[in-house]
Amino acid sequence: MSLSIHSDITAGFYANKDQPLRDERRKALLGVRGLRKRHSQGQNQRLLFDIGTLEVSTHGAYVLTGMNGAGKSTLLRVLGGLERAEIDSLRFEGQDVLRTHPYPRALREAIVYVHQHPVLFSTSVAHNIGYGLQLRGVPRDKVAQTVEQAMAWAGVAHLRDHDPSRLSGGEKQRVALARARVLRPKLLLLDEPTANLDGQAREQVIELIPTVVEEGGSIIVACHDRDLIGLPGVQRFKLRDGQLEYR
Amino acid sequence: MSLIDATQHAFVLLFTGDPGLWRIIWVSLSTSMAGLILATPPAILLGYLVGMNAFRGRRIVIWLAQAALSLPTVLVGLLLYLMLSNHGPLGALQWLFSQRGIVLGQCVMALPVLLAFTLAAVQAIDPRYAETALSLGARRHEVMARVLYEARFGVMAAVLSGFGRVISEVGCALMVGGNIEGETRTITTAIALETSKGDFSQGIALGIVLVAIALLMNGALMLLQGDAHAARERA
Repeated sequence: MSLSIHSDITAGFYANKDQPLRDERRKALLGVRGLRKRHSQGQNQRLLFDIGTLEVSTHGAYVLTGMNGAGKSTLLRVLGGLERAEIDSLRFEGQDVLRTHPYPRALREAIVYVHQHPVLFSTSVAHNIGYGLQLRGVPRDKVAQTVEQAMAWAGVAHLRDHDPSRLSGGEKQRVALARARVLRPKLLLLDEPTANLDGQAREQVIELIPTVVEEGGSIIVACHDRDLIGLPGVQRFKLRDGQLEYR
Repeated sequence: MSLIDATQHAFVLLFTGDPGLWRIIWVSLSTSMAGLILATPPAILLGYLVGMNAFRGRRIVIWLAQAALSLPTVLVGLLLYLMLSNHGPLGALQWLFSQRGIVLGQCVMALPVLLAFTLAAVQAIDPRYAETALSLGARRHEVMARVLYEARFGVMAAVLSGFGRVISEVGCALMVGGNIEGETRTITTAIALETSKGDFSQGIALGIVLVAIALLMNGALMLLQGDAHAARERA
């Protein structure tokens, strides 16, 4: 799909294609030093990656690329607090994070990870989208209002009370994105979000990037999607041979 | 008395509301339910923790839980008898030959069934459910609630199986309860006693009740499994 299709969506965000935008608003969000992940192989351990420094700023959009098996998903899962790794130091919004697994509650609420193939709880579409808001103690009427808006955004309003297991892969992906988006996370981690999408659903994912940044969040997307990689204003990390390269 | 006569008399006992018979049924149901209610929360919690966490000795715990499934009920009864007897460590409770003693025995026997089945149900759940809940900000107990909800069919099957185990056992109830009429006589101990006395009517009547309970439980289980299979096919 051509990038030009999304030009109207992204025009406001990418005012100058040569500059990473909103530099004046950018502050350090996440800083990781000495991040190593080893995988056990029988008696031996294989070093998957050894990253010296990883910096993510507020109002930042990043794509994470690399060959299959390079460790993109694992890196996102480590950053999302779902997987253990050796971390020398981790700072979030200027504060040292002393416990990196599991993350403290504040950090878990600030960082949201979405699987490549998300699962939906076997309740209803509306409950799925409102789940994180309920956990945060948001009043019920506010949850209902936000869920309505999110369902409209994701184009799943007509599926409000549907059994999530009956949804198509694309619909599940959109509900999962809406479920993450309503939380307005400071850092949103998406693992191959367009891999199984086409048409409007794929455009929505691409649209989500400037939307998250506009709302003050940052986003890291692991992908092979050339349109996402080529988006102007989006910075690129590449995992190669266990090292993180900044492109 | 022929088998047909005994069966006819059994139905008469059941449908005329014979107080002795219904007292036995009540003791059986109440002690089984109480044992099950006591065993369910710790067994589900333990099943969840063992199913979801990697720790040293985890396989030993699973091995022991599964081995306990085939523990003879008379052995459990013997151990509890020794513990509850006057010289045993729990003798001061004075629970031997009481309904409380039977409840304790039912609880001990339901535990491994509930634990093993809950463990299997939790292990069968896609780990992304827990990860998703965690990533959306759930605390540990909220993740547990979410995972157990997703595993609800398996957990319900565990509870039904636990009930099946305790309502149908005879060894422990006999040894710990003492088969005291009107007090600790349960369906199974009564069947054993009446059969040994040659009075088959009450035994058959109680057997009919046990079979009815088994049919009800398995019917409920089949309904649940039907839903679970349908959901799995749709997923």
